[in-house]
Amino acid sequence: MKRSPARLVIALSVAAVLAVFILYTAIAGNATTQLSPSTLAGTTRHVAVVGIVVGKPTGDAHSAGGLRFRLKDDSGTSAARVLVVYHGTVPPLFRTGRHVVLSGRLRNGVFVGDNSSLVTKCPSKYTPAKSKKT
Amino acid sequence: MAALGRVALLLSFGLVSYALVAGSYAAYARRRRLSLSAQNALLAAFGTTLVAAAVLLAALARRDFSFVYVAQHTSRSLPLGYALSAFWGGQEGSLLLWLLILSGYAALAVWLNRRSRELIAWVVPVLGGVAFFFAFMLCFVSSPFDKAVAPGDGAGMVASLQNPYMLAHPPMLYLGYVGLTIPFAFGIGALLARRTDERWIVATRRWTLAAWTFLGVGQLLGAHWAYVEIGWGGYYAWDPVENAALMPWLAATAFLHSVMIQEKRGMLKVWNMVLVALAFNLSILGTFLTRSGVVNSIHSFSQSSIGGWFLGFIVICVVFSVGLIYLRLPLLRARTKLESLVSREATFLYNNLLLVALALTILWGVMFPLLTQAVNGETRSVSKPYYNFFLHSFGLPLLLLMGIGPLVAWRRASLRALGKTFVIPAVAALVTGIALIAVGLGSSTPGLLTYSFSAFVLASIVFEFVRGTRATGSLRRLVAKNRRRYGGYVVHASVLLLAIGIAGSSAYQTIRERGLKPGQSMEIAGYTLTYRSLENTQQSNAQTTSATVDVYRGRSHLSTLHPGKSFFPVEDDFGNDVAIYHDPRNLGDVFTIADQFDKNGTLFLKVLVKPLVNLVWAAGFLFVFGSLVALWPDAVEQRRLAERYEPGTAAVRI
Amino acid sequence: MALALALGSLLAVLVVVFVARPFLREPAPASDLLDERGELERRHLELVEERDRALGALKELEFDHRTGKVSDGDYHELVGPLRRRAAETLRALEPRAEARHEPISSSR
Repeated sequence: MKRSPARLVIALSVAAVLAVFILYTAIAGNATTQLSPSTLAGTTRHVAVVGIVVGKPTGDAHSAGGLRFRLKDDSGTSAARVLVVYHGTVPPLFRTGRHVVLSGRLRNGVFVGDNSSLVTKCPSKYTPAKSKKT
Repeated sequence: MAALGRVALLLSFGLVSYALVAGSYAAYARRRRLSLSAQNALLAAFGTTLVAAAVLLAALARRDFSFVYVAQHTSRSLPLGYALSAFWGGQEGSLLLWLLILSGYAALAVWLNRRSRELIAWVVPVLGGVAFFFAFMLCFVSSPFDKAVAPGDGAGMVASLQNPYMLAHPPMLYLGYVGLTIPFAFGIGALLARRTDERWIVATRRWTLAAWTFLGVGQLLGAHWAYVEIGWGGYYAWDPVENAALMPWLAATAFLHSVMIQEKRGMLKVWNMVLVALAFNLSILGTFLTRSGVVNSIHSFSQSSIGGWFLGFIVICVVFSVGLIYLRLPLLRARTKLESLVSREATFLYNNLLLVALALTILWGVMFPLLTQAVNGETRSVSKPYYNFFLHSFGLPLLLLMGIGPLVAWRRASLRALGKTFVIPAVAALVTGIALIAVGLGSSTPGLLTYSFSAFVLASIVFEFVRGTRATGSLRRLVAKNRRRYGGYVVHASVLLLAIGIAGSSAYQTIRERGLKPGQSMEIAGYTLTYRSLENTQQSNAQTTSATVDVYRGRSHLSTLHPGKSFFPVEDDFGNDVAIYHDPRNLGDVFTIADQFDKNGTLFLKVLVKPLVNLVWAAGFLFVFGSLVALWPDAVEQRRLAERYEPGTAAVRI
Repeated sequence: MALALALGSLLAVLVVVFVARPFLREPAPASDLLDERGELERRHLELVEERDRALGALKELEFDHRTGKVSDGDYHELVGPLRRRAAETLRALEPRAEARHEPISSSR
């Protein structure tokens, strides 16, 4: 082979890889929009909501009625709150004040969470020394 | 004593600044004594950083709460081991760990290569430059030696961190991340010195391999931690912080392979520079992503102030690397060309392409929320389906290539010769595939392909060892003559185990959750689990509620498990105690999570049956073994390289 | 506190001395120039690397042939050019004076 076909093949391979990538993201996408309680209002599509748990959760995630809790924005001073109804596995770190994310859909002003989609962030270790009640 | 720590860090800062500035000038103006002085400064910086580290460790050990850092991350009741591990638990401490490891590595690398004066003259300022950033942060932005009025007791360590993994996982990762700086510094140093030879690669080969091994082991430790301690049922969640370590590891894997091509054929000089810069920059990006909280992650480390600084540093590093490579392009042009698309060089190129593609698609996935937020104000994120698609699309061909590569000769392989060597592995793959379909495992195409390709690769590796042993007479002699290659094959075998373990535990996993009253059973994947009773126990730092669950296959009793939940009063937090039965029959696990204990006595038990998952952990051990074989010093090779780069005549120079 | 400062000062002094050492050891050296790899030495290094590459390729070809990865036909086809190349690189290094003026043909 006098003229190296390498450049051509490498270019084609790179193009093939790019094509796979672009086709996938265009067709299957699979990206979920992340919203906070303040931006959630009025959304009808399937999204993920990110927020901090406020108030006292009630109910039982394994019962028909589900676990009910409210979320507020994780940053900023918005007064928006959204009520969440959730069924499925509840991570042990879940409690008031924790940063959570779950996917689902807003129905009649209530966010209905997808089964077992609740994820709780490990609590931040760098919060300035809060008064410990212990 | 905090004052000593602060002084030591200021000295480190001064020393690395000197190494950077004086070292650059010395290399540029060819000043020998100044260059040696800059070198000494870099070595001394390790000493002063070590002093600072010792001060922090001592403060942690004696719980000196006047140190803000100690008060924030330890408490009186925290066991000593964990108190010491708080060194890397917080932001300031982990920055110090970075600097400590970096200065230590830098000192060692420079010392070992001190005779290569021209190269080291430029490597010193590059290392000084990277260290400068961390020293600057430690002295002026985020110091571990801030003091305040000592509170009565410290804030303690989050319960989920109090386990042996906290002692091993972060240091391993850091040894890996930081280790990638050395080949980067040598590569950039070579470019700055306008050198076109392979000294920099030869000098850093073992560094790269070692760093890559540490990074790999660190990730496996993290995965195991998530699996047994956090206990959500899996070991990898494609979380940004997890991806942060995977991306540089993939780039380093590509680099490890492509330097072999440069070594054998003199090709790909530019590509190797690009790869080493990519690996380094991804490791800094990884540190940034992990620590800055800029991307939503469940590993919440902080909403910290240093994000901006890190970003600036990354930008500078990227611009500098790209700029320098571009400027030196004429110097790096190779004179050899790829001869045939059917050659080992070509398979290495495909391997590189796939590895880098995988790393970049993961990068895209991680940065996607930030990009969408910046572009149209809406945060969109991708998750498992996205990552799995690309893992399959790029990972499966990579797996196959692992088997093809060794079978193909360098330079050019005739298709007929290939046909002969391919036959048996290909038959092995086909037979495996058909057998698996017959047994009912055809339900998952990626799983089926993984197993079939693995059979191919395994056959190919076995052949290499068998044929090689026959040719040289003994296995020992074979490996001794070419440690890197056969150590590499062992590492490939470990990757095989990993692939099989991952495929089994994800593609062929079964998950079921049931509410059980005492005495009731549930069936899953051939197992029967019966809930017997509930216990409450008190441990030194936790109150545990656990269920007794018997596991049966048919009538035979396999094990009794105690999944439960614990409450930690000091940290005021809950944690899952998962219970796992390791089934020797399928090398898999029956993973049980006590999801919820109802007031009326119902246990909501979540069970995951994960076939072959223990291969993932076994792979880790084989991985380390293979790397050790590949890393092992080879006296013959060392002599040859010393002769090449520091031949007798050169030593006469003063 | 005083102890900390004393130790800190000691550390500072040690560090400064260590950094200044090259200048203290040779206050007036004959030459302060960092040895630069001359053009000749660079060329030599390139030749050595090419020699090692060529010899290594030959060894690998022999090994691949012995283990059956390369067929007899392929072996005979490839070994000739490789041997020639290796010989070229050895020749270029032998009489060094000539090597400096004789450019080596670019490899195939």
